[in-house]
Amino acid sequence: MKRALSLAAATLLVTCAAQAQDYPSESITLVVPYGPGGASDLAGRALTEAAGNFLDEPMTVANTPGSGGMTGARKVSTADPDGHTLLLARVGMALLPAVTNDPSVDWDEYTFLGSLEATPMILAVAEDSPYESAEELLEGIENNPGELSYAASGATAIDGFTVQTLLSDAGMDPLSAATLVPYKGGGALASALLGGHVDFLAISAASLMPHIESGDMRPLMVYSPERMEALPEVPTAEEQGYELAGQVIGWSALYGPPDLPEAVVDTWDEVLDQVADSETWLSRAEDRGSISTIGDVDMTTYAEEQYNFYRELAEKFGYLQ
Amino acid sequence: MLNDLLTAFQAVATVENFLIMAAGIWGGVIIGAIPGMTGTMAVTLALPFTFYMEPIPSILLLVALYKGSTYGGSVSAILIKTPGTASAACTTLDGYPLARQGKAGKALNMALYSSCTGDFISNISLIFIAAPLAMLALRIGPPEYFMLMVFALTTVAGVSGRSLLLGLVAACLGLLLATVGEDMYGSFRFDMTVEMRDGLSVAPVLIGLFAIPELLKLVVFRHAGAKTALELGDNRVTRAELRRSLKSLFKGSLIGVVMGAIPGIGPSAAAFSSYGEAQRTSKNHANFGKGEIEGIAASESANNGCCGSTMIPLLALGIPGDVITGVMLGAFMIHGLTPGPMLFEENLNEVYMLFIGMLFSSIMLFGAGKATMRFFTHISRIPPGLMAPIVLILCLFGIFAIANSMYDVIVLLAMGVFGFLMFLFAIPAAPFLIAFILGPMLEENLRRALAISRGDPSILVSSPITWLFAALAVFVVAVTIRRQLKKASA
Repeated sequence: MKRALSLAAATLLVTCAAQAQDYPSESITLVVPYGPGGASDLAGRALTEAAGNFLDEPMTVANTPGSGGMTGARKVSTADPDGHTLLLARVGMALLPAVTNDPSVDWDEYTFLGSLEATPMILAVAEDSPYESAEELLEGIENNPGELSYAASGATAIDGFTVQTLLSDAGMDPLSAATLVPYKGGGALASALLGGHVDFLAISAASLMPHIESGDMRPLMVYSPERMEALPEVPTAEEQGYELAGQVIGWSALYGPPDLPEAVVDTWDEVLDQVADSETWLSRAEDRGSISTIGDVDMTTYAEEQYNFYRELAEKFGYLQ
Repeated sequence: MLNDLLTAFQAVATVENFLIMAAGIWGGVIIGAIPGMTGTMAVTLALPFTFYMEPIPSILLLVALYKGSTYGGSVSAILIKTPGTASAACTTLDGYPLARQGKAGKALNMALYSSCTGDFISNISLIFIAAPLAMLALRIGPPEYFMLMVFALTTVAGVSGRSLLLGLVAACLGLLLATVGEDMYGSFRFDMTVEMRDGLSVAPVLIGLFAIPELLKLVVFRHAGAKTALELGDNRVTRAELRRSLKSLFKGSLIGVVMGAIPGIGPSAAAFSSYGEAQRTSKNHANFGKGEIEGIAASESANNGCCGSTMIPLLALGIPGDVITGVMLGAFMIHGLTPGPMLFEENLNEVYMLFIGMLFSSIMLFGAGKATMRFFTHISRIPPGLMAPIVLILCLFGIFAIANSMYDVIVLLAMGVFGFLMFLFAIPAAPFLIAFILGPMLEENLRRALAISRGDPSILVSSPITWLFAALAVFVVAVTIRRQLKKASA
């Protein structure tokens, strides 16, 4: 009996090991929790394209938009932890749970496979605006409380926090000093500024770069740890001494369902290492104006830091009652 | 410019490009014709393939799919009373009655002529007046959008059928349903389940509202026609019919061009407005909704009239107006081309190649439409008793496939039952759908405008464009009231 048991245990071990080696045993679905064609979608597709070369099975993108990305996040968080359903996580996966009291998926209900890229944000005004620097803009806001308007996806979205942290750093009320006008999507946000319907905005660089290059918009400041290569003259928020705003940045990461087997995590460690140096990945990142961060940060720690950062902001700004 | 165009022509006119476009158009027509499968889906599915293609052929493929599916939506609208895409909803109103009269071929032909004309005019506008139209589009801010939506909503008066009152009831229900889900400031409305926080998508509501009630009618009433097939009969559009539709056709194309160029409005609103306009001004306005060929011309010229001009904000400003152009933006970026003002300076040759390819695709749309028509007209010979279950299965699978979501299937079925109840109470479905589609744009732009003006409503009539649309809306309401009074006294 004992022998039979140990034999069974041994077989189990062997099959487990064999299974682990088999990963991936079927095609991998990368859930992109936003619509096709946007920045997240392109990041996801760049990853599948680059990682596809290093995996035995194909990897495909499935767009599952809804609830600011939480619909897709929930789908992955509750999926079978076999490594065949993964999530292209964005800053929203740490931000949204931080700004509500009962999030549909908490920031840590995942296995963190690794960070992918950082996507800088830019504070910009229209070309005919009187403001030449972030300081002048803030002065203008202070002198006309509530009269200047900015476009953002929502009050508690990343592109809302870019502006609110800046206002808070400048000692103004983040919620009422300037008026938020909500728009959906990078294109609509950019056109609101181009058409002169709002006074300023601070959104992802990818949506603004074409208009900055054409001279229709003026960049005042970037939200990025370093100055952007394409805009060497534009200072970063940190340089300007804005403490909170200096910490706001967009990012992408690769998440899986909680409790992924070790073998899956190891496989992805290797694959991501190879992706980090691949020409496809790097050139795609450059085209989109983002900076590859694979292997630069420990994702578990980073996600927690990000969550705590936005949690504190949400409490400070009064979003959590 | 002419020299550049000739060089571009040479670069585009390859067998490979023609095959790609033909495949796109055909595929688009078929996908658009299947209820539950939309152009957005076709374009999204094709996106990964374009990564391995040259930049211009890949955009041409996406454009071809978009154009094909926009026309294809009218096929199922006419033959099985289920618009394949939301923008073909008004085509159903006259197309299906024509098909019941045994004139399916005639209706399909008219839809094709109108689609191709609208498409061609739209391409020409893209090529020659992209810059001024893009500037106009940027001028359209929240107050202008709001007034434009108010005007588009007046179409409800035209599609209400026998009773204006019931039409208004339907429109109010549509507006109410459009509020389900998260609003633009992040609060939730009618969120009875977690899924409802995402609101209701257009596709399941559209298909549920049109396809399912037809099936229920068959089951409940078991009418005698269920087993007999329709005769094909009258196939050709006569010269007289074409001539009297010409005005609506060109007006529809222009409405399509202008509305397509404004980001975020899209072919549905254009088709609704064009249909409403044609119905108001036509000599045959009494025949609208009973099988008037002019109605098809108005609706179909406007929705395909958007196809070319929707590229204007994308190419000239780098701003995608809807999901489809959003996917196209992605395809551009993948190939290292950034749409926007710089595109015309740095990649003029590619831009010209794209223009020429799009002109070809209009002609190919005609060919593909003609070629598939023979096959499609046979569909109307399948007895409804057999057709309905096939349609139901297609709808269920199609809707599920869009987002792999059981919730969408439930919405589809619930809307089906709701649509059947509306039928029992003689409440028309078209005003409901129009209000449901326009509702979010109406609400969001009203709230945006009031946020900018900090609560001062005078912003809604603060520019010439808002005056224009407000005046048009008032005019339509006045005409409608006068007609109602006349009808009451007669």
